[in-house]
Amino acid sequence: MSRLYNNSDKGGAGAPIKLDLAIIGAGPAGLAAGAMAKRLGIKDVVVFDRDERPGGILPQCIHPGFGLLRYGEELTGPEYAWRAVQEAAAEKVDLELNSMVIEANPGRQICVASPDTGLRRYDCRSIIFAMGCRERTRPAVRIPGTRPAGIFTAGKAQRLVNIEGCMPGRRIVIVGSGDIGMIMARRLTLEGCAVEAVVEIMPFTSGLIRNEVQCLRDFGIPLLLGHEVTEIRGYKRVEGLSVCARGEDGRLIPGTEKNFDCDTVLLSVGLIPENELSRQAGINLDNATNGPVVDNLLETRTEGFFSCGNVLHVNDLVDEVSQEGELAAQGAAARLGLVQEPRTVNLNVVKGSNIAQVVPQRLLVNRDSRIAIRVRRPTGPATVRIGEAVKLRLPLTRPGEMITTTLKADQLAALYDQGENQELRIDCE
Amino acid sequence: MVSASASKIFASSSNPLPSPIPPSGLNDLPYDVVIIGAGIVGAMLARELSRYKLKLALIDKEDQPGLGVTKASLSYIHRNHMNPPGSERAKFCVGSQDRFRALAAELGLPYREADEINIAFDKEQEQQIRTRLDWAFKNGETKFRVISKEEVARLEPRLTRDFTFAVYSEAHGMIHPPEWAFALTENAKANGAEVLLETEVLGLAQAPDGTWLVRTDRGNLRSRYLINAAGLFADEIAWMAGDRDVKLFKTRGTFAIFDSSVSSMLRHLVYVAGLNLSYSQAMGPTMHGNIILGLGWFKEPKDRIDTRVTKEELDCILRMGRQIMPDLPERDLITSFAGIKSTNNLAKPEDFYVGPSGVSPSLIYALICSPGITGSPGITRRIIELLADAGLELQEKADFNPYREKPYRFKDASEEERKEAIARDPACGHLICRCEQVSEAEIIEAVRKGARSIEGVKQITRAGMGRCQGGFCGPWILKIIARELGIPPEAVTRKGKGSEEVIRFDQIGASL
Repeated sequence: MSRLYNNSDKGGAGAPIKLDLAIIGAGPAGLAAGAMAKRLGIKDVVVFDRDERPGGILPQCIHPGFGLLRYGEELTGPEYAWRAVQEAAAEKVDLELNSMVIEANPGRQICVASPDTGLRRYDCRSIIFAMGCRERTRPAVRIPGTRPAGIFTAGKAQRLVNIEGCMPGRRIVIVGSGDIGMIMARRLTLEGCAVEAVVEIMPFTSGLIRNEVQCLRDFGIPLLLGHEVTEIRGYKRVEGLSVCARGEDGRLIPGTEKNFDCDTVLLSVGLIPENELSRQAGINLDNATNGPVVDNLLETRTEGFFSCGNVLHVNDLVDEVSQEGELAAQGAAARLGLVQEPRTVNLNVVKGSNIAQVVPQRLLVNRDSRIAIRVRRPTGPATVRIGEAVKLRLPLTRPGEMITTTLKADQLAALYDQGENQELRIDCE
Repeated sequence: MVSASASKIFASSSNPLPSPIPPSGLNDLPYDVVIIGAGIVGAMLARELSRYKLKLALIDKEDQPGLGVTKASLSYIHRNHMNPPGSERAKFCVGSQDRFRALAAELGLPYREADEINIAFDKEQEQQIRTRLDWAFKNGETKFRVISKEEVARLEPRLTRDFTFAVYSEAHGMIHPPEWAFALTENAKANGAEVLLETEVLGLAQAPDGTWLVRTDRGNLRSRYLINAAGLFADEIAWMAGDRDVKLFKTRGTFAIFDSSVSSMLRHLVYVAGLNLSYSQAMGPTMHGNIILGLGWFKEPKDRIDTRVTKEELDCILRMGRQIMPDLPERDLITSFAGIKSTNNLAKPEDFYVGPSGVSPSLIYALICSPGITGSPGITRRIIELLADAGLELQEKADFNPYREKPYRFKDASEEERKEAIARDPACGHLICRCEQVSEAEIIEAVRKGARSIEGVKQITRAGMGRCQGGFCGPWILKIIARELGIPPEAVTRKGKGSEEVIRFDQIGASL
């Protein structure tokens, strides 16, 4: 069985099939978008996914902590995925699994390859990108040394352990303090592996504080902040790894070298939105988020293309990913004329001091808007100022914790009236 | 179909060892020729010798041809401008592009071409490029010309403008050498050659009748003629034969590969001047649409497997890359690796030695250096002449089949070809590697033809070679290899014995 449910064969063998909405990716963003699109009355909606099962990365995230915002209870990844699939099924969303979208062009035509249905083209009135993200790899962070077996990205190791039933190794060092790395430190410890250390080049962890506490501190796993990996050793299989402390100027501090014997290195050094298709379709991308530039209906700068979830920007919580999926569906419904959205003027977001990224980058002032912000550097008590009017006081800020807030339509209208050059400046001080 | 096969994956638990050498031991007829080393030279030689009525074997210690020096190079079929006229290198590199093109047609292999721009940053380098130009003409090349800065800027707008002098040349070949070694071996095998992989030569001895005894970790064999094409291990093989005089001088070079999404940034192979082999600075497109950067001073490695990439070397090649292309797309760096090359003491400095050993005319050496891939057709021809001179009878087979069916490649196939292929076999539409668009069918075929490791499958199909470096497809490839070989996942290796990728849950406590 490769599909949960499927619509009957549409269209002829040759001519492109017409769709009102194609959603690319059946993770939490795509599934929520599909369900909401149907609820809003969009008729021909298909969600495509390359995997043989829906849910995206959730099925391998067997730890709890999902769903607190959306369902008010704590779920595991597979449980959350199950709900998302059920919600989509209840709305009779068509799912095409084992189906990889290999091409998307600016004319909103996509080409899909699948062992079940062959090669098909679809002409779509609207498209929602929900492809998620991929992990940064070793070359991206330039870790020197040899290239033996035993080096995995944390997510790949997570899939091996939780889905394929294999272990990556016995003695582990984790490089980078992304959430998946910290979660795998705990997971592998529970399976009996020796997790020697988590090594982070920055002076602070890049994941959530709750993961640092629950996955590392509670299990006594050493965390080395401000340490750089200087070499991976081993020819056939990893034999060890060396690290060295970095001074504030980024230089290595002589005499602080440490060697670890290990057979496995996991990398958790960041996530990159998978925007190859968006690029192909000519979508304008933001260098800070690595995702498309969108407005508050998550429409990209190319009409009819929407983006949500981790392909738009890397989120902290799946609950917010689902919410973005629903918002993108509302955007698509508005674009298709099913929902009235007066399209008025825009405000362009300008990143001020200590702001790394903001989504959306453009605001339609006629509707409420969720704003998601990441800071560049961690701070103590800080104030995030949005334009002249809105001030958020926070006990601390960290790049690893997304700051979200919702601006009401009337607040936006007021900001628009006060602002100059139709710009909205955001600062964290 | 796909899920059904996927569910079988973990069923088997046997862990097969390589089968013993076929019964050609001491009591049987000896081989006519045994080739030690299945790199590009060994594989091409095996394929060319399989035209003749010969009992032939190709041996390699790795589990797949072409995973030694052959794998780690710039992979261009260079025109003949870097080889001093009169050198063996110049001789063996004549007409290589034509030979590779012909082989590509016969073996269903991809062969592409790119033009080259040689640039100089100062008077000294300018003189070096002029010398190369002179060498090119003396070696019979015709399509070399001096071009203006404006023309370079038009051809390669992202290239630096800081150079002082440039030479343009046409039609340098691009191949993926491990894929070629694999295909050449496959064709040799189809024509009767025996291929013995994961077979390490441990000793050599010559019987009074001149026959060679080859002792390996999987049994012994005898052969009338021996070819030493063992690459970085050619000196060890020579020592085993009693020739203590052979020395290899090894150097390490570092390479960086950029994602295919930036391929439009550079269309020409760009070489910065330099006349000797210890120094190389090149940047250009690859066969697969990536950009490769191979720059810097080659350092002496610790040993023959010392393929570390050091921080200094990587920083250095990126710095030099920026010198050639100021907006080097460093964010799109997808991998870096080091390769070891060697020169030897039998040849003139930095030249090939293709000739008889000091101990016997029936032991022939192919001791080569850069540009070894380019020189391989010429080297192959020369070895066959040497074999004939040493008394080997070369009688052509009537049924030699020079062709190999072109394997299906989703990425390179047209829409119609894809549709037909998927209709024939659904696995042709099941994309496993998303970055390089490699289907399950291609991986299955590679394994059925002899690929056994993750690295081996990658070198043949490109699965795992893209921007995610196997992050998504890795577990799938592991499962497919295990399923096709009928072994458990923990027996699947990254690159041969000792590099097993995963372990079982119940193996965790074993060595803690």
